[in-house]
Amino acid sequence: MSNKRKKFDKLLQIITYASSSIGVLILSLIVIFVIKNGVGLINWDLITNDYHAQFYNGGIDEVTTFSNTSRPINLDDEDVYSEKWGIALRDGLDREGKPIVEVTYIAEDSPLNLMYDKNNLDNADFEIEVENVISSIKFDNKPSALSLYGAEYMINELDAENQFREIVFSSLGGGIRGSLITTLYTIGLTLIIALPIGIFSAIYLNEFAKKNFVTRVIRSMIEMLTGVPSIIFGLMGLAVFVPLTTRYTPADGANLLSGSLTLAVILLPIIIRSTEESLKVIPDDFRFASLALGANNSQTTFKVVLPSALPGILTATLLAIGRVIGESAALIFAIGTTIKDDISIFGKSTTLAVHIWSLLTDEPANIELASTISIIILIIVLVLNISVKLLSKKYLKRV
Amino acid sequence: MKKIILLLVILLSGSLVACSSNDDWDSSKNITLYTRDTSSGTRAGFMEGIGFSDAAEDNSLLAEGYVIKDNTGILTSMKTDEYGIGYISLASLNENVKGLQFDGVDPTIANVVNNTYGLKRPFNYVIRSLDDFANETEKNITLAFVAFLHTSDGADIITNEGAIPLTSNSTWDDIKGNYEVCNQDNSAVTIKFGGSDSIEKIALALTEAFAPKCGNFTPEHDHTGSSDGFKRTQGSEKDGVNYKHVGFASRPFKDTETGSEGTQGQLAWDAIVAIVHLNNEVTNVTAEDLKKIYSGEYATWEQLIG
Amino acid sequence: MKKTKQWFKNLRNNFHFNSKKEIVDFFVRLVFLISTIISASFIIIIIAFIAREGIKPFVTDNNGLGAVNLFRFLSGRVWLTGTTFQSNLYSVGFIIINTLYVALLSLLISMPIGVLTALFIAKIAPKKLSSIMRTVIELLAAIPSIVYGLFGAGVILPFVYNFAKTLGIQSPGGNSVLATVVVLSLMILPTITALSEVAIRSVGKDIEHGSLALGATKTQTHFKVILTSAKSGIFSAAILGIGRALGEATAVSLVAGNAQNGPSFGIFQTTSTLTSTMLQGLKETIGLDYDIRFSVGIVLMIVILITNMVLNYVKKKVGNVNVK
Repeated sequence: MSNKRKKFDKLLQIITYASSSIGVLILSLIVIFVIKNGVGLINWDLITNDYHAQFYNGGIDEVTTFSNTSRPINLDDEDVYSEKWGIALRDGLDREGKPIVEVTYIAEDSPLNLMYDKNNLDNADFEIEVENVISSIKFDNKPSALSLYGAEYMINELDAENQFREIVFSSLGGGIRGSLITTLYTIGLTLIIALPIGIFSAIYLNEFAKKNFVTRVIRSMIEMLTGVPSIIFGLMGLAVFVPLTTRYTPADGANLLSGSLTLAVILLPIIIRSTEESLKVIPDDFRFASLALGANNSQTTFKVVLPSALPGILTATLLAIGRVIGESAALIFAIGTTIKDDISIFGKSTTLAVHIWSLLTDEPANIELASTISIIILIIVLVLNISVKLLSKKYLKRV
Repeated sequence: MKKIILLLVILLSGSLVACSSNDDWDSSKNITLYTRDTSSGTRAGFMEGIGFSDAAEDNSLLAEGYVIKDNTGILTSMKTDEYGIGYISLASLNENVKGLQFDGVDPTIANVVNNTYGLKRPFNYVIRSLDDFANETEKNITLAFVAFLHTSDGADIITNEGAIPLTSNSTWDDIKGNYEVCNQDNSAVTIKFGGSDSIEKIALALTEAFAPKCGNFTPEHDHTGSSDGFKRTQGSEKDGVNYKHVGFASRPFKDTETGSEGTQGQLAWDAIVAIVHLNNEVTNVTAEDLKKIYSGEYATWEQLIG
Repeated sequence: MKKTKQWFKNLRNNFHFNSKKEIVDFFVRLVFLISTIISASFIIIIIAFIAREGIKPFVTDNNGLGAVNLFRFLSGRVWLTGTTFQSNLYSVGFIIINTLYVALLSLLISMPIGVLTALFIAKIAPKKLSSIMRTVIELLAAIPSIVYGLFGAGVILPFVYNFAKTLGIQSPGGNSVLATVVVLSLMILPTITALSEVAIRSVGKDIEHGSLALGATKTQTHFKVILTSAKSGIFSAAILGIGRALGEATAVSLVAGNAQNGPSFGIFQTTSTLTSTMLQGLKETIGLDYDIRFSVGIVLMIVILITNMVLNYVKKKVGNVNVK
């Protein structure tokens, strides 16, 4: 082997290594980018909490005795305490990055414990608690103290009065539990629909179809699907699948099922292409051997061809899951942008990507939470990826 | 191991290049214009506010080389582009960009509320025609919601979300007697809200706060854009699968979007702020300055500073 | 297709099968065929749907604005002349050129990188590393396009802006052909890599061994034999990749700058693509300004169709070592 040849080989090697490191580089840059923006918000509560806050309107009868608990020593400097009302408040940020006022302490003898539920006078359990969020305190004779102006303002306004009309407080919302569950449902439903159709089509095209004009047309029709922008898929889903599902299921309007059907169409060409490529790998000898042993075509397909094509199908599945998780434009129309906490496959809901989309189209956009959700998406994909691989390893060994 | 080190080196050098920018600001440079697209309510409000309404829906009147972006896009661009100028909703203003004074008035909520800050646009709502509700309960809850929008309790929520409410004198406590429907249990009733996504946060805050006051009805929000606000309540999609009870628009309703009487109205104002890069030396602009910038009369920053 | 006909004939004439196996065989084939027909029919549904919406601007008078002139629409150099909602002078000529230009440039960047990465994963890398690399590619494929957009706006735009500045050019915030091409290349890289890898792995071992036996080095075999043999699959990857590049909307609209006239060839000029034009103001607009976006959609589909046909033609011409 000539020296020149060696050098040239080395060069090509280096180029190959460099090219593959670009993928790693891009992924690391994106990961660094989302972590830099989104790591601050990541915690377990975000994942397990509801999105919608429950609001309460507390009214109070004339107050005769005020609190006389002095400021507890365990309060931080940021806590603003009202001795008169026996309540400590603190400025914070909610999950959308908006300033809020949190309750951090309520004294035993606070008159606020006497508040009643203005919306349901029979509610005996009504009470304001630590970790609640106060959005406003309303008075009869002056403008309300809003959380926008901060905890200190709120306490000062409250201290100046002996009476208030209403305190509006709520639980802390903004969790993504609903969107997370929806995403998993959507992945499952979409794969159940798309995988069989896609794999069967690929088998038909590769194993049974004659190489003629009709097959070529069918193939290019399927390939053309890959070029359709997601937004068009979405509008198609809205025009075709949404009415279809509302007619035959209890659904009322866009729903998880119509969204999954739309996604399934998007996935078909990916699954077909990838499955076909792996079917091509299988040597014809296998097929002939199987047929020679007396198996018929469908037996050969299911027992010989399909198992050998499994790695390709797995790649297709993973690509498909990736696409489902990442898709937003199509789903905006086919599932809608309603962020929900109770998930039903016949109801509206959002996947994580649509959740991100809706955070980013807000004014102001919430880039931090969007990044946090991206981190979660990446983690889900990684976990699914690894588990599918482990499963396939087990399965492939058996074959 | 070698590869990892190589990778780190590439990464580091990449980020170094990305971060290296110097701080001197050169007023002789050209102004880069950033604008929203012609269907944006913010753009309509902005162009009207600077006396350049013709350009609200016509790009050819703008100086060459403008960049069209959405609210977030303009905001992030102004972090990078030292010679750019754009405009955003006041609620989006943050410390990464510089919000310019308009006619000498700082862009703050207080200044908008006391009506000294002049650049703003309306937020509107539209409900279904009164004879077009599926049942009386849905209609009455919708009407109660509209009434709530105009109370000081509704105004408090709007203010808290960064928009500017219309003045109101009554509280929900004063008028709730007129809305019998709110005394019953409505937890099985779903009221659908949609339209502009600029108003989504405000709408969500309003319904979350209003639902417990009105029998805990279920508000369902699906915001897809101002044009869907009318379309899905009284327009072509009002009986479609995505029909809504209440729609919102972050711009004035067009002539083709006139609904039946008493179904449309304004709920708030939204202030608009002209923004530039933090390095920019300019702090104050007048309506006329902005018009000259956007029409191309001022091509460089020098010309503005004079 | 013919086979199917034959089966139906069988069914009609004999009305009985020779064995239970044959019945199963028949139904399995039927299911496969139906699946294929379903897969292929969606494109017709989609075309019918957007055609219904998209032809409207050319055949109706658009509420008094007058029908849009098709020739002008396809050839013009300004998106809209006159005031929105009051003018019907739309054109996408320059946008078609812009779209093809950025898509081809991104393919030019992504193809070599993607194919070499695929080669690395399939043939060169040790098993562990190749499995890690595959995961990396699959993760990249799963990142929502809006996040690519965010990344583009947050990292690529400043990078391009500063790059232009070092060259002494004042760039409009980095919004440019270059930024668009970079973002698109990132987005189509996983698609191209994943599919090329399948194609490369499908090259028969005998071909590889033959090459090695003839005295070629491993590297020579990889580049000269395997890549050549996998050509057909790699071309399919390119077709899918360019399809994605042409159809990508969200991320592009965040970095392109949405130029309203053109075409733009300079790499620091702002640009616009068919999808970014469709997306621009889609949610807020009404009337002709809304309907015309579906016409842009039709144009996009036709552009994709033609690109596909051209690439398929090239694929055929370049030759095809059939591995099956």
